[in-house]
Amino acid sequence: MTTTEAVARTAGTAKETLRTHSLRQALQVQSFQILLVLLVVFLAFAALAPEVFPTWGNVRQIIQNVSILGVLGIGMTFVIVTSGIDLSIGSNLVFSGVVAAKAMQAMGDSGWGTAIVGIVVAVGCGLGWGLLNGVLIAKAKVPPLIVTLGTLGGALGLAQVITGGVDIREVPAVLQDTIGYGNVPGTTLPTISLIAMVLILIFGTVLHRTRFGLYTFAVGSNEESARRVGVKVDRQLISIYALSGGLAGVAGILSLSQYGTTAIAGQSATNLNVIAAVVIGGTSLFGGVGTIFGTVVGLFIPAVLQNGFVIVGIQPFWQQVAVGAVLVLAVYVDQRRRAAAARGHSGKGDGTKKLFGRRTT
Amino acid sequence: MKLTPQTALLAASLLTAASLTACAGGTAPAGSTGAQPKLTFIQGVAGDEFYVSMQCGINAAAKTAGATINTQGPAKFDPTLQKPIVDSVVASRPDAILIAPTDVAAMQAPLKAAAAAGIKVVLVDTTVQDPAFAASSIASDNKGGGLEAFKAIKNLNPAGGKVLVISTDPGVSTADARVAGFEEGAKADASFEYLGVQYSHNDPAEAAKLVSAALAKDPDIVGVFAANTFAAEGTATGIRQAGKQNQVKIVGFDAGPAQVKQLKEGVVQALIAQEPASIGTQGVEQALKAIKGESTTKEIQTGFKQITAENLSGVGAQYVYKSSC
Repeated sequence: MTTTEAVARTAGTAKETLRTHSLRQALQVQSFQILLVLLVVFLAFAALAPEVFPTWGNVRQIIQNVSILGVLGIGMTFVIVTSGIDLSIGSNLVFSGVVAAKAMQAMGDSGWGTAIVGIVVAVGCGLGWGLLNGVLIAKAKVPPLIVTLGTLGGALGLAQVITGGVDIREVPAVLQDTIGYGNVPGTTLPTISLIAMVLILIFGTVLHRTRFGLYTFAVGSNEESARRVGVKVDRQLISIYALSGGLAGVAGILSLSQYGTTAIAGQSATNLNVIAAVVIGGTSLFGGVGTIFGTVVGLFIPAVLQNGFVIVGIQPFWQQVAVGAVLVLAVYVDQRRRAAAARGHSGKGDGTKKLFGRRTT
Repeated sequence: MKLTPQTALLAASLLTAASLTACAGGTAPAGSTGAQPKLTFIQGVAGDEFYVSMQCGINAAAKTAGATINTQGPAKFDPTLQKPIVDSVVASRPDAILIAPTDVAAMQAPLKAAAAAGIKVVLVDTTVQDPAFAASSIASDNKGGGLEAFKAIKNLNPAGGKVLVISTDPGVSTADARVAGFEEGAKADASFEYLGVQYSHNDPAEAAKLVSAALAKDPDIVGVFAANTFAAEGTATGIRQAGKQNQVKIVGFDAGPAQVKQLKEGVVQALIAQEPASIGTQGVEQALKAIKGESTTKEIQTGFKQITAENLSGVGAQYVYKSSC
């Protein structure tokens, strides 16, 4: 809920500029700080349950359970860097999974041929919803919050129309055995996590090392300036929402593989969980600032908290309280940094320098 | 010291760590001392009276047997939320897990893996596609419960008419069985017309909308069977919105405080109550037997009780679900 309010607030104040010079330094600092928080949480649980918590078997299952959210987090980071929001990812995931399951059901057999068709269909469906989001946002100028709230309902509703609300549980065995619960041959690393890591590396490079990534930051920092220096803003936005949708499609097939069911009633809070992780990871809701690395760390904080709370035997409700606190804190840090930047202290100024100085010296 | 974001972050993380330690000290009384069996109960959804009553039964039975019990549950009845909890519980290596699986397919692999890791698994209330790995499955005889619900509607409407079912989500084994039992009864009786089942997705608001829509289409519905707690809450709201309290009789499944209040107010005319505490107690018994290596009963079915306004102050009272132990 906090997230939605924060988003609404963003709309009016998203216009301020940030000097690119301080950008890199500042975000390095926040993802570093959030990594420290993750380490502290990890060490606290490791101290409380030394023989259970810090084992590879336990860490492995945390990584496995974060993988699907990781894939969604990539797209969400791109979207939030443009100061947008994508609420539709959870429904998009369910819709893509449902259509892919229907297609695979129609094919009949449970070999790789069917699985590949399913993968293509899922990614295609995800892309479709993403393109729709992008076109409505960039061309029709409807605010992202409203567009994706609309497609959130639309995708879920259509998924229920297609299935009559009845989950499809016929998923090809190859998908479940290799992707869902399989390991990378010769290791104990889950395949699903390797897929997520590869995607994170690819799109991390795209965001931080390519012109496409630079334009993404430019659009998020100041849409008007980006337009005036010749960035095709509309096309950029459409591509980014399509990317987010396509990745939701990938997540859809991963979810099918892992759960063996379309879980239509599930994923209702996935969008907010991913947005929270992106924000905790230091990506600013005001746009123009963010890292994929921060998002990954941001995803691990709730996952590690939940795992630790279960192992230590604390009521599950406390996890939400803890994640909420970390979320508000992360936005507070972002606000401080923006206030410092607005006072002209960015780059060589006191506030940011103090933060950055601590790390380099 | 000036409050910079960094110091704030550090202070907060220290605080978190400190409060964590404090919490843990208070609530987890060192389970690994001695040869006490360590049990974990994973609810279908945290905070639901049905699972709380089951938890009460489990706690009492565990206390008598000298076992420790750790209760966990997802915030929603959702396999994507329950799976990480199951994985974490398995990592903590209890001797046995009592669990109400939230999906027959999604929970199959994680629970099978738990059993393969040497943890005894007892399925309570709901089940999975192939429960062969489980030491025991304990649930209400839900089909019988559905049939009983139809009989209750028949008692309230001896003349017959149109009847409707509001269920939760398709694929939840218990709810499906209740609907099947009701359908069987309704179709076997020529004076009743069965209008089918609508799914409310565990959301009272959704159930209310479905009932309003159904009443708009068939204004002469005489009875609605609401297959679980949330569905009953919403059904009552929907009927009240349509102003048809006197015409439509509702039979609810489950007897949480909200349903009992509705029964007292005359919004709901009868409740079919399960015996969650009994499920929990027997679950602990079977789990302990499995830990000791004794033979277990693979499948146990518990009964159900009808609660009406007449017996609520008498025998019915003990079947009402608890919101705390």
